[in-house]
Amino acid sequence: MRTLRFPRSAVPAPGQVRTVEAGGRRIGLVWLDGDLHGLADACPHRGAPLCSAGTLVHRVESDGRRVVRREPADQLRCPWHKWDFDVRTGACAEAPRMRVRRYRVWLEDDEIVVSLAPVRDPTPAAELDDDRRT
Amino acid sequence: MLIDCDIHVTYGSLGELAPFADPHTRELIERSGVAGLSMPTYPWVHPSGWIRRDTYDAEAVEAGTMFPGFTLDQLRGHVLDPFDVAFALANPDEAACFSVLPNPRLAAGLASAYNDWLVETWLRHEPRLRGALVVPAQWPEAAAAEIRRHAAGGHFASVFLPGAARIPYGNPVYDPIWAAAAEVGLPMAVHVHYEGVGTSGPLTGAGMPDFYTEFHTLNGASLQGHLVSILCHGVFERHPEARLILMEGGLVGYVGVLWRLDQNWRATRSEIPWCRRRPSEYIWDHVRFTTQPLEAPDDPQQLAQALAPLHPERTLIYATDYPHWDFDDPDQTLQTLPAAWREPIRFRTAAELFEVPIPAPA
Repeated sequence: MRTLRFPRSAVPAPGQVRTVEAGGRRIGLVWLDGDLHGLADACPHRGAPLCSAGTLVHRVESDGRRVVRREPADQLRCPWHKWDFDVRTGACAEAPRMRVRRYRVWLEDDEIVVSLAPVRDPTPAAELDDDRRT
Repeated sequence: MLIDCDIHVTYGSLGELAPFADPHTRELIERSGVAGLSMPTYPWVHPSGWIRRDTYDAEAVEAGTMFPGFTLDQLRGHVLDPFDVAFALANPDEAACFSVLPNPRLAAGLASAYNDWLVETWLRHEPRLRGALVVPAQWPEAAAAEIRRHAAGGHFASVFLPGAARIPYGNPVYDPIWAAAAEVGLPMAVHVHYEGVGTSGPLTGAGMPDFYTEFHTLNGASLQGHLVSILCHGVFERHPEARLILMEGGLVGYVGVLWRLDQNWRATRSEIPWCRRRPSEYIWDHVRFTTQPLEAPDDPQQLAQALAPLHPERTLIYATDYPHWDFDDPDQTLQTLPAAWREPIRFRTAAELFEVPIPAPA
């Protein structure tokens, strides 16, 4: 398994996304719920720079009457078409066929370790055909 | 190679037009209201931003800013260079609303100032850019004069009208505009903009919608109304050289409208005898549609089947709509269409329309 390492100082602050270059790809790091998450910097819809220009936002839900803003901000919003992707799963609730590519990321001693093998998600997902934008 | 038929440029504030304006218009720009002239705007606001978030610094813009400016270098870096754009059409943003101002003289003055500003600040600096000439639709004679004023300059590639209008664009009141555009060889481009704002008619006959979501779903109805008006008034019979581009109004909807118009015409053609051919037949020679925002059903095959009656290989021309939020990336978007359509849509059909030379294959 090919991995890359970055100094622990690259861990983003809560609510922030930090993009790192890894093996010719750009991967966005998000610190959420005490875990580090890695997502491709490419929206699976139209290829936008999802992590480097996207925004972490709250999921807003309604049961038809009451509107709730969920904590924490765990949705990464595309800078172009404003689709939201769940940081934990890479899934877009409004477009089930769309899932952003995820990478396994973990902390080891004073370093961030990024596995360049994308996480194989259990459900099929539309992804970019190549990595040219990541 | 790509021809991008819809990118938007704008001034940061209306005051930037003052140096290009005639004295009376300049006085109104600088002295109107409290701190200068302001334009009417949409009552609906995109809930998460109507400009691509990677084109401006959200921390730096003032609260309530409608159109954060972007630079020519950004346009080159985001669109012109990466997509090998040979030709791009620069459409207005806020300046699209001049045609729905109640004061026709102010609209004419602002349109002239905007066109000169566009030449000096954008078009002279990038040979791949051509402008969409903004004209005051509410004063057709002044619009025709503005078209002729720029005829020899070579900076403009279309005459711009917003979807918002008091009267649909086929009405004979607009004949001076059609005649001037045909005379100088520019296509008329009607782009969804400012429906339900200023002096324009309502967005649809249903009444005023409540949400931006409704507005953005329905704004293409204005273009369908203009197209049907133009066909029923026989504009292409009176102006055989005229060309029309319909921008950003969706695509699939036109199919049903044209079927219905053809069907009605068989029974009602005595009312509109100047529409000598079956209305849809004028489309192939005279009308082109920009692709963005391309409809995106879950199954792309459904889109191809739905669009086939429009003969996309002859009528569709590509548009990114940069820097707006619903930007369509050419490489990703064209993949969702049948392979045989991609090259005509990407550049061939627009190259013919705008007379852009296509390099021979190496």
